[in-house]
Amino acid sequence: MRFTLATLMVALLISCQDDKQEPPEAEFSAYEVPAHFPDPVYNFDGNPITEKGFELGRKLFYDKRLSRGQQVSCGSCHAQVHAFADHALPLSIGVDGKEGRRNSPGLYNLAWTEAFMWDGGINHIEVMPIAPITDSVEMDIPLSDLVEYLQTETEYPEAFNAAFGSTEITSARLLKALTQFQGSIVSDGSRYDKYLQGQYTMTVEQERGLALFEANCAGCHAGVLQTDFSYRNNGLDAYFTDLGRGRITQNPDDDGKFRVPSLRNVALTNPYMHDGRFFTLEQVLDHYSEGIVESPGLDPVLANGIPLTEDEKEDIIEFLYTLSDFELLGDLRFSEPLE
Amino acid sequence: MTIKFFKIAVMAMLLAFTTSCSDDDNNDDMNPPAENTKGSMYIKFDHVWGPAQDDFALNTDLTHPASGEELRFTKLRYYISNIELQNANGDTWKEEESYHIVDAENMSSGEVELELSDLPGGSYTGISYMIGVDSLRNVSGAQEGALDPAENMFWSWNTGYIFIKAEGESNMTSNGSFTYHLGGFSGPFKANQEKYHDFQGATLEISPADNPAVHVTVNAARFWHGGLSTEQVPMMHMPGEMAQTLATNFGGGFQFDHIHN
Repeated sequence: MRFTLATLMVALLISCQDDKQEPPEAEFSAYEVPAHFPDPVYNFDGNPITEKGFELGRKLFYDKRLSRGQQVSCGSCHAQVHAFADHALPLSIGVDGKEGRRNSPGLYNLAWTEAFMWDGGINHIEVMPIAPITDSVEMDIPLSDLVEYLQTETEYPEAFNAAFGSTEITSARLLKALTQFQGSIVSDGSRYDKYLQGQYTMTVEQERGLALFEANCAGCHAGVLQTDFSYRNNGLDAYFTDLGRGRITQNPDDDGKFRVPSLRNVALTNPYMHDGRFFTLEQVLDHYSEGIVESPGLDPVLANGIPLTEDEKEDIIEFLYTLSDFELLGDLRFSEPLE
Repeated sequence: MTIKFFKIAVMAMLLAFTTSCSDDDNNDDMNPPAENTKGSMYIKFDHVWGPAQDDFALNTDLTHPASGEELRFTKLRYYISNIELQNANGDTWKEEESYHIVDAENMSSGEVELELSDLPGGSYTGISYMIGVDSLRNVSGAQEGALDPAENMFWSWNTGYIFIKAEGESNMTSNGSFTYHLGGFSGPFKANQEKYHDFQGATLEISPADNPAVHVTVNAARFWHGGLSTEQVPMMHMPGEMAQTLATNFGGGFQFDHIHN
């Protein structure tokens, strides 16, 4: 009798087994959309974030082998301690000590960005890394060479297999892994963010600064993300060596226009402007108040500059300090891996 | 005796019951496939030089029939995409994921062929395709196959595919070379272009047994149609009016020639 029961139980246990795979692992959550942010423009449906994909992207981001002669990695010019901008350099230094062309921006909240680079020339987050990887003054390695190198001379095929189910490395998988990592870097832990959610009370100076900011700056540095993503000539020069947006649209009216950057973490990402010409926030406000240079494309809102008293400039800077997200700087999920 | 028999019978039934639970996906013997009427075909791009259709080859001295310039092509690659065939009833068959790079490196006697499969059987009267990549796929991020940016037909700084790459030497440019990277899919100057060829009374017969071919001649001299020369335009590396002109000049040199059924 017991034998029969045992047989019955075993038979039932081994019977009717599906050929289907194990249920998917619990979703990995390095990426969270803050409740007070607008909707992101990139959705990860075509590139779902997994732990292995994210870790592959992180490994690639900090790997100097993505450059010719293994000299620089993405993390070399996008350093977590500076909110993923460069270390207080106007122009970054690439392979062979070559100087770059424009100031390295902080990499955070990228899933909300429609067009990348100061001139908006790159229209999709996934293909953004191709520019620094292949640029001769940055990482200087052709994409096809990089894929072949990683495939044949490194330990990466195993990591790609873990992330994508195949040891074959393609540029699309490499770029999607980088996107899983970079796209997950969300900066929403500043005092300003907490203020927006009713969890932080501004000081008197910060409150004054916020009011001045909203009256004078938020027309362009608008909303929760502190940018309206438009391209504007903000009175830096009369003549342009760097055409900015005009080079992309081929419209001379766009010459000298650059994308309005987000001011999140602005105190951590000096120097400022597309060429990093201003080292301090004081210099930036001096520019807007007294230093606007005329040119045909000067943005109309700056026709008379933004006159500010010295006290007002101090208050605005007090407010700008509340935009620093120190949680981001210490978030180990985005740090350089230890091995 | 009967109880033992009964036990064995129950266990046998259980065994039969439990092992028959598994899903049997391999039912081919049970359901023979429907009769197959689909077939394949080739598009053959015959590269020629000039209206006289002289032979065209890479790394070969050529004289332009209009400008007289002495030229050599070291590279000629272009995207052919969104291929469709029209049949006698006015129906259209569209190739799925229709993106191909035609590379003159792969020429055999000037010809590069693309194979298309799984066309429904029947008589076809025309073909259409795009020279270049459609605007949607220019904004779709990292892609695979012919659209892999590692194919080096992609601008990293101004996102978009290079639809046509033509490089080589010229006796009339200051540095002895010409370089055309033609792209641009938005704004007033698009370098991608749609072509349509009516088979002019001939038909392309698709069936499981045949492998017919549509021959399209491609006149590489046509970049410099309408009086252009490498002396005037030694290089082009960005979207705009001249890129569009060069691209549509070249595209104008694509002509339906004949069908082999």
